[in-house]
Amino acid sequence: MLEQKLIKKILNILLSSGGDFSEVFIQKRNLNNMRLDDGKIENSTSGFELGCGLRLINKDSTFYAYVDSIDTESLLNAAKILSSAVDSSSKNKVLDLSENKGGYKANVEQFPSDIAQENKKSLLDSANEKARDFSKYIIQVSANLSDADDTVIIANSNGLLINDSSVKVFLAVNVIAKKGNEIRTGYKSLARTMGYEIFKSKNHEAVALEAAGIAIKMLDAVNAPAGSLPVVIGPAFGGVIFHEACGHGLEADAIIKDASVFKDKINKKIASNILTAVDDSTLRHHWGSYAFDDEGCPSQKNILIENGILKNYIFDYKSACKLKARQTGNGRRQSFRDLPVPRMSNTFIECGSDENEAIIKSVKTGIYAKEFAGGQVDTATGDFVFGISEGYLIKNGVISEPIKGATLIGNGPDILNRIEAIGKDLDFAPGFCGKAGQSITNEVGQPTILIDKITVGGTEV
Amino acid sequence: MEKIIDFCKHAFLKIKNKNVNEFEIYGSSAAHNEIEIYEEDIENLSFADTKGLGFRVFKDKRMGYAYTSNLSDSAIDSCIEKAIENSKVTNQEEFNYLPVKKEFMHKDTDFDRNVLYAPEFIDFTIEDKIKVSKELELSVKKRDKRIKGISNLIYEDTVSETVILNSLGLEDSYKASAAFLYISVISREGEDVSTGDYFGYERTPQKLNSDDIAENAVKRSTSLLGAKKVKSQVADLMLSPMVAIQFLGIIASVIMADSVQKGKSLLAGRIGEKIFSQNFNIVDDGTLPDGLASRPFDGEGVPKGRTSVFEKGVLKTYLHNSYSARKDKRLSTGNASRASYKSPPDIGISNFYLEPSDVNEGKILQKISNGFYVIDVIGLHSGVNPISGQISIGAKGIWIENGNLTYPVKEVTIATDLLRFCKNLAEVGSDLKFMPAGGYIGSPSMHIRDIAISGS
Repeated sequence: MLEQKLIKKILNILLSSGGDFSEVFIQKRNLNNMRLDDGKIENSTSGFELGCGLRLINKDSTFYAYVDSIDTESLLNAAKILSSAVDSSSKNKVLDLSENKGGYKANVEQFPSDIAQENKKSLLDSANEKARDFSKYIIQVSANLSDADDTVIIANSNGLLINDSSVKVFLAVNVIAKKGNEIRTGYKSLARTMGYEIFKSKNHEAVALEAAGIAIKMLDAVNAPAGSLPVVIGPAFGGVIFHEACGHGLEADAIIKDASVFKDKINKKIASNILTAVDDSTLRHHWGSYAFDDEGCPSQKNILIENGILKNYIFDYKSACKLKARQTGNGRRQSFRDLPVPRMSNTFIECGSDENEAIIKSVKTGIYAKEFAGGQVDTATGDFVFGISEGYLIKNGVISEPIKGATLIGNGPDILNRIEAIGKDLDFAPGFCGKAGQSITNEVGQPTILIDKITVGGTEV
Repeated sequence: MEKIIDFCKHAFLKIKNKNVNEFEIYGSSAAHNEIEIYEEDIENLSFADTKGLGFRVFKDKRMGYAYTSNLSDSAIDSCIEKAIENSKVTNQEEFNYLPVKKEFMHKDTDFDRNVLYAPEFIDFTIEDKIKVSKELELSVKKRDKRIKGISNLIYEDTVSETVILNSLGLEDSYKASAAFLYISVISREGEDVSTGDYFGYERTPQKLNSDDIAENAVKRSTSLLGAKKVKSQVADLMLSPMVAIQFLGIIASVIMADSVQKGKSLLAGRIGEKIFSQNFNIVDDGTLPDGLASRPFDGEGVPKGRTSVFEKGVLKTYLHNSYSARKDKRLSTGNASRASYKSPPDIGISNFYLEPSDVNEGKILQKISNGFYVIDVIGLHSGVNPISGQISIGAKGIWIENGNLTYPVKEVTIATDLLRFCKNLAEVGSDLKFMPAGGYIGSPSMHIRDIAISGS
């Protein structure tokens, strides 16, 4: 998209009044989104985005500009304006750019541009039919199918040059069921870093049926209890507990600002001995995977906690420099319009040695939480919440009645030490994570786990 | 060709000759500035000039949409083609066409669009912006020695221009400015840590009141030091305006006509019913002079106005765009909304607020013998299901005993359902406060009876 010579020129202009680091991030993104609602294709939208973000770091300060174009004149102009923000005696030169061709390559079999809109439509139509046929209580189905085809060039003054591309496909089905005056919802998604061959791994109809199944089961939900109880958290989306209770607090920007309860805890025990947790952006085709992060650092597997001991934080370039640590390939941004910040990729709890059935059997009175609606954390205090969208009472070691949606609330360091059992059924779930006004693709994962006590936000006092 | 209106007009000539029945071009351009300060130094400073066009086409009563941020000739050409291609796959519906005047609920508003843009905005330089941000940091730190850190201090401003053109001859535009200043502070005392945040949001940075922001952020943070869980119980809640606003946001989501029409709202079929037990008035006013969400026209060019949604607790209307209005045989309330040029018109609120009473909130609090004064909530996007109406969210605040604020409370949840919330809303204060929250939502303090609190 841009000549190497021009890129180097921009990098040099950025550093012309001083500074430690300059970067060019060029992105071309084509997007499509088709939405089925109320039994028909209500909307089909396509987007074309092309632009460039320029970054200049001088000591602890970052200067950033972006333009919605890759027109030479506007880029040079933006670079000049940015460089004038700095007045420093430390002059750095741009090293010769050499392209890094390594890293994870994901093969795309069916590019979004090769798929006719008509085929996408029939996929949504059949998801709709499947869900509606599931039960007479289903009153509404919404389904979204979107794809993104991304190409980036990343170059910086350290001589790095990356040409990268990725394709992502996302399907989500929302089902609404009604019985009497009670309305319940069910949600399920399928999302991978791959082309339309995604539907070979899992059928769109299966996604629709799962969403319908949740809505119908929840029609008979009883009020959730209020109070502190043992909670068994199911595999896959259950991993949102680690994402909130710990993951965000390990992102190095929070550490630097003394806004994390996990500051100064490296090589210290912060969790139950049985807990090992990982952030791994190399997992093939997973929703949070990539070849390079958005600063050109190769993806990698980063062991965060090993047998309860904190091993590492999650870094981007700037935070790694500041803390004199190694980059972990977690500098991510929503688009060329945003600054990269340390973000999780695919973050999960490793398998333990407990049998899943035995975990449930061990609970006399408690909750089995199966599906979730996401969560939130205040990293400075460690207080976090996550919402159960499909949950059940456990009575005498047996899963019984479904419960209405409830939020679980706890404190990260406390809850990490309350993980009493970890099963063997590791699975993953895709989602979106919001931070600093940016939404990025993210995956959580875990096997079945048991928390001995956490506050359940029900209404049954 | 610099201005967004010129790009729109240029694209108009291109699309005019295409084989479509109707079309609309929505363009916007913005100059955006963002500054983050940490420890009296610039952490991030970013600026951008952006432009983009969105094309909505109607062909045989089908709608297609495409947008581009790349405004080169060839990109606009392919974008138009893509919009037309998209119109071939969507459903054919009799209600799919551009809005016409007889469908407007608010026909001739005398809204003065000059209020949207503050001319003094341009007098405030980058240096001034950095200065006001740094002063906020210092102001916070000197207020209380327990303030040990700042987790976020952000200044943001935008000057934007929005243009709409359609094949029925509509051509209109407006310019708007806004400045936002936000701080989140960390206070510590012994082992206790607490965070609190506050913001200012004005049409121009000169109006930002850093003292007010600092004072509120510090109070919200330090007043919760030493907070503990309470035991699970049913008690009254007093919601501070910042929290009440977020509950009002949930109510906003169930009065959108498209949600109602699709069976996704608990208020479907309940026009004319008394939803609140008390006589509250809730209004959506897109022309409020001080409203940061005020606009002369909505996302499809329909004039904005004042729509009374609840009158004396009774549901009077849903909010409509022209499509949903046709379906219900009503007029468009001018609530077609777009997050940006990247999406076709949906339905959304503008300045949406619950009218305050003349009762001082302190007086209301005095009447509560055992209750929870809620200062902040967490987990709204995961703990609220607007379709089923279930609400279960994390909360922190101060316990009320015999009309007095006593000890701080955290790590508890409050849970109810939306209809019960409306029924149990007993009284509101006089302290109306607005906050940007998917629109510009305003609420005074709220007193709600008998809500389940879960703790130890």
